[in-house]
Amino acid sequence: MALHLNDDAGPLLAVSQGDPAGIGPEITLKAWLRRDEIGAPFLVLSDPAHMKAQAARLGLRVPVQSCDASEARAVFSTALPVAPLSHEATAEPGRPDPATAPSTIESIETAVALVRGGQASAVVTNPIAKQVLYQSGFPHPGHTEFLAALSAGPGGPAPHPVMMLWCEELAVVPVTVHVPLRSVPDALTTELIVATGRIVHREMKARFGVAAPRLALTGLNPHAGESGAMGTEDLAVVAPAIGDLRREGIDAKGPFPADTLFHPAARQGYDVALAMYHDQALIPIKTIAFDRAVNVTLGLPFIRTSPDHGTAFDIAGRGVARPDSLIAALRLAARLSRAAKRAA
Amino acid sequence: MAEQRDQRPIIALAMGDPCGISPELTAKLLALEEVHAAARLLVIGDRRVLDEGAMIARVSLALETHRGEGVPPVGEKPVLIDLGNLDPRTVQRAVASPEGGRFALTNYRYALTLARDGHADAVCFTPFNKHAMRLAHPPYDDEISFSAEVVGLDGPASEFNILGDLWNARVTSHVPLSEVASLITRERVLRGLKLTDAAMRAAGFATPRIAVAGLNPHAGDGGNFGREEIDILEPVVAEAKATGIAADGPFPSDTVFLRAKSGAFDAVLTMYHDQGQIAMKLMGFERGVTLLGGFPFPICTPAHGTAYDIAGKGVAHIGATRAAVLLAAEMAKARRAGREAAA
Repeated sequence: MALHLNDDAGPLLAVSQGDPAGIGPEITLKAWLRRDEIGAPFLVLSDPAHMKAQAARLGLRVPVQSCDASEARAVFSTALPVAPLSHEATAEPGRPDPATAPSTIESIETAVALVRGGQASAVVTNPIAKQVLYQSGFPHPGHTEFLAALSAGPGGPAPHPVMMLWCEELAVVPVTVHVPLRSVPDALTTELIVATGRIVHREMKARFGVAAPRLALTGLNPHAGESGAMGTEDLAVVAPAIGDLRREGIDAKGPFPADTLFHPAARQGYDVALAMYHDQALIPIKTIAFDRAVNVTLGLPFIRTSPDHGTAFDIAGRGVARPDSLIAALRLAARLSRAAKRAA
Repeated sequence: MAEQRDQRPIIALAMGDPCGISPELTAKLLALEEVHAAARLLVIGDRRVLDEGAMIARVSLALETHRGEGVPPVGEKPVLIDLGNLDPRTVQRAVASPEGGRFALTNYRYALTLARDGHADAVCFTPFNKHAMRLAHPPYDDEISFSAEVVGLDGPASEFNILGDLWNARVTSHVPLSEVASLITRERVLRGLKLTDAAMRAAGFATPRIAVAGLNPHAGDGGNFGREEIDILEPVVAEAKATGIAADGPFPSDTVFLRAKSGAFDAVLTMYHDQGQIAMKLMGFERGVTLLGGFPFPICTPAHGTAYDIAGKGVAHIGATRAAVLLAAEMAKARRAGREAAA
C-alpha cells in the first residue's frame, strides 16, 4: 500500500475554478460559508485576486488566502484557501472571455495533478463553457473527456468515463450522453451497455461501498418496446446486454419501462439505474432533486464530482446563484474520499 | 315555484377491466358525496361485477338499476345500466382475459354511444387492460382510435395527461424511439399546440401558457446536440404565438416540468412518450388524469392502469378516478355554458 505524505491529515478536495465569468466563483465562495455541511476541507485552484474581487463585489464576507495544498487544511477553517495559477483569471461576471481559457484549463490540470500526486483526495469541478474553450483551441469535446485524457498513462488509451447523476434518493447513469435524440438508437449498442454496466458495477462496489450492486436498465422505447410492438432495440440490444452482464455475475435487470422505474417504491429494487439516453436519466433526477443532484464521473482513476448545472452567465455576478448543487458535489466527494481512505 | 332544473352534467361511466382494480374503483367513486354534487352518473356494466367491487371496497351502493332498452332518466340517485354482460365468477382476478376485455369494450362503446347521441355530456372509464382488449378484439389499437371510430370523429384527437392544473400533451406517443425525430415536423407540433390550446380553453383556461420541450439533450445546446430545436421548434413556437397561442420554448426537457409546476406554465408539450411520462408520474402517480381531447365531449380516465398486483385487496387509491370524473364534469359544464352563450 502506497502511503502518501498527507494521508494522516484526512481528505482534501481540489476544486477547479470553472469559467471565471460564470457562477463558479460565487457558488464556491458561498460553499465556503457553509463549510460545516461539507465534511472535508477544499482548496480552490484559481486566481486569488479574482476570488477576492468577487467576494467584495457580492458582499460575501469570505477571507481569501493564497496557499498551497499542504497548507490548505490549516487555512480552511478561517479563510478560503486558493492555490494561485500561472495564468491570470480576471473576468467580468456574465461576460465570458476566451482570454481566460488558459487559466480555466490550468485549473483543471492542476486539480488532477494534485489528486494523482496524492496531495488531494478528489476533484470537484466548477462549470466550464465549452464554446469559450473551443475558441482558444481546446481539442476535447467536453470537461469529462478532458479529465479522461489527463488520466491516460503515457502513450496509453484514455479511460472510458461514465457519467452518473446522483442524489440521496437515486443514482442514474445515461448510457448515451450528449447525442442528438435522432442518433441515439445507432449510438446504443450491446457493447456500450455492457461496458457501461461493468464500470458502474465496479465503482458502485469500490467507491460507493455497495457489496452487491443491483442494476436496473430502462428500455429505449415507450413501455420498453412492449415485446417488440414499439421498437426492436429492447429485445435486440438491451436484453442481450443484460444477459451478458448477468453471465459475468452482475445483478442486472430489465429492460423496464422508464416511466414507472423512478417512483419511490420502484427505487427500492435497485441501487443504480442505467438509462438509455440523456433525458431519460436527467428528467427523473431533476424532478426528484432539482438542485441537489450531483454529477459523478465513474471510470477515472480518481474521484470526480461536479454540480449538475452550467456556467449560468445570465445570472453571474448578481448574487442570486445557489450553491446547493456544488455543496452536494463537495459533500459526496468528501464522503467518497473517506470511503476510499478506509478501503486503502 | 318552478322546480329547479338539475344543472349537473350527466357522465357516462364505463366499467373497465373486471380483473384489476376497476370494479372496486367504480364502487368507491359511487360512494363519494362530492362526485354526486358535481355530476349525475350513468354507470355502464354489470351489477354482479359492481357488487363485488363494492364488497372489496367496503362501501354500500345507493343507485337505481336499469335493464333492457332505452336510456333511463338520471335523477337524484346514480343509475347503473346493467348490461348483464359478465358473471365475475367466469374470470380470474389479475389475469387478462378475452371475457374481461369484451366486458370493458362493450361498456365503453355503450358509454361513447350515449354521449354521441346526446344522452350524456361526458364519458369516463375505470382502467382498461390493453392486452385483454386485444384478446377480445385484435384490431384494438388504443383508446383514441377506438373512440374516434365509435363517435365518427374525423378531426385530430390527442391524449392529455393532467395533474392538478398542469397539463401535458405529446407530439408522438406509442412509436419506437427511432421514429420520433422524423415525426417531429412543423405540422405535427403546430397541431399539438392548437389541440392543447383548444382543449385547455374548453376546460376553462383563458389563455393557457404552453411550454414546448426540446427534443434533444439541453434542447440541442445551440445546435451542438441536434438541430430540430433551431430548424423546427423555434419557428413553430413563433408561428403559434402569431396566431394567439401563448406558446414558449423550446426548453430543456429535464427542467421544463419543474418550471411549469412552479407556476411558469399551464402545460408542457413534449416530443415523445417517456419525456412527459417520467416527470408526470414522478410528480403525482396517484392523482394523474388522462383526457382524450378533440372529441365533441370530454373523455377522462385515471392515468394509472389496472394494477393487477393489488386488485381485490381494497387498497386501490381513488384519487385519480375522482379527479378524472371531476375534470369531466367541469369541462362538460364549461362546454354547456359556451353553447348556451352562443345560442
